[in-house]
Amino acid sequence: MTVRKKWLLPHSLLVIFLMQPGVRASEEAQENAVWRVVNYWSEWCSPCRKEIPMLNALSQALDASKVKVVGVNFDEDPREVTLRIADDLGIEFPILTREEIGNLNLRAPDVMPTTYILTPDNELAATLIGLQSREQMREQLSRLGLLPAKQ
Amino acid sequence: MIRSGSIFPLLLTVLGCSHLTAANMESGAPTVERLLSPAPDNSHLSRITSDEAGRVYLSWVTEEGAVARLMYSQLINDKWSEPATISQGSDWFINWADFPVLSVHAGNRVAHWPRRSGGDTYDYDVVARFYNGESQRWSEDTRVNTSGIEAEHGFVSMLPTGDESTLITWLDGRNTKQQPERGAMTLRAAEFDASGNNLREWELDRGVCDCCQTSSAMTAQGPVVVYRDRTVDEVRDTYIVRFTDDGWTEPQPVYRDGWQVAGCPVNGPAVAARNEAVAVAWFTAKGGSPTVQLAISSDSGETFSSPKPVAGPDTNGRLDAVILDNGEIVVSWIALADNGAKVMLSRFSADGAFVETVDMAGINPSRRSGFPVIDSIDNAVYLSWTDTAGPRRVRVARVTFE
Repeated sequence: MTVRKKWLLPHSLLVIFLMQPGVRASEEAQENAVWRVVNYWSEWCSPCRKEIPMLNALSQALDASKVKVVGVNFDEDPREVTLRIADDLGIEFPILTREEIGNLNLRAPDVMPTTYILTPDNELAATLIGLQSREQMREQLSRLGLLPAKQ
Repeated sequence: MIRSGSIFPLLLTVLGCSHLTAANMESGAPTVERLLSPAPDNSHLSRITSDEAGRVYLSWVTEEGAVARLMYSQLINDKWSEPATISQGSDWFINWADFPVLSVHAGNRVAHWPRRSGGDTYDYDVVARFYNGESQRWSEDTRVNTSGIEAEHGFVSMLPTGDESTLITWLDGRNTKQQPERGAMTLRAAEFDASGNNLREWELDRGVCDCCQTSSAMTAQGPVVVYRDRTVDEVRDTYIVRFTDDGWTEPQPVYRDGWQVAGCPVNGPAVAARNEAVAVAWFTAKGGSPTVQLAISSDSGETFSSPKPVAGPDTNGRLDAVILDNGEIVVSWIALADNGAKVMLSRFSADGAFVETVDMAGINPSRRSGFPVIDSIDNAVYLSWTDTAGPRRVRVARVTFE
């Protein structure tokens, strides 16, 4: 996985995410190997662009945990183009290379955006189709035991 | 110049030259031929189209550095003419799903490409050029979307409506820049004369899916346009509008799949027509089950049969559709396999009975291979797609159903 230059999350966004109950990754998740939240995005996809701030905040909030947010450019542009577009879109989480995408062994999604949650063994744990809200994402992660359930 | 009110004289031509028959279930095996492609290495985004005389044309885009070039060639006696350039530029919006269209009729030609409009990264216009058969010259660039608002405009379909007129349909994002709340993507259409003059223009639907192709066809009753709708609660079913004596009809569903998704399927429907017969193919993934569906109308698109499954679940859609001279319907689609994908053609009788599926070519299932496209002459189907094994290149094949 290639990790791009890490940008500082706008302080307000980070505070918003962390102030939600149970946002910190659970201890159980931290003890296991890495789960991945794999977000397929595209530059022309309006709902993709809309959910990027939420995913940036999630990525930042999970930074110390065993849950990592990663992105996939659905359009499969050359690497340098992909990174430029990701920069333009303000994506702050790592973007997978073609080789890394191939290793996921995932069927390319039918709808953009689509977010897959993969277990450390690369098993598909959840498929989130379409624009996700912060609450929807939290609910999925909680359901998988990756976040403590809401108080 | 086309007189106002003389819209769609092509109808008479269409009515006079085709014959519907029942499907020939006893036909022999189809003949598949790979044709030499006139497109060079590093070509993609192809369209294949034909004119009223049955001449076949292929268009494609090549890129060299920052410059994109739209080119085309005509198939004459099974040989392609020397490729000609329609336009080129360094400010085009090059995208695997929203790509140039070429339309040819009565010696006149129309072609479009998406051109960035200089605002946000995703703001681009529909720009067209019109080729006059008499002067044998392309016009200057004409911007099809006319609101002046920098927004997304694209997913064009074209339909000759007369010897010197063309209906252009596109998604128009003028309302998406509204504040404080973003408006919906709209579907618009305009009729242009052979010189590129906008004769009249309509808003066909004020809330449609932002990211799916449109398709249009000429029926015995007039033009029809199909597209993916979008309701306020994110249901994205395939809809149709028809041009009648009273103007355009209100949007109506071809079928209520009820596919609710807050995202971009990037998988538009396709329509084909011959006399009163209309075939609409579309992709849906309701319940997480990808399916290509086909519905048939025998009254110029006013009503449709229940949908018949064409393919699924191992498909990612990217479909097209034609009606052969014998009335049979052919739908192209992509079949996914463990180690790649294939372009398939499924043939149906005029009343929708499945006849056969033909494996046409291997294809990369990724976005780099774009959308395969088909057109038909007599009972032959021409297929074009992008081969990404090695340098990306547009390919062409023909299958003849006897």
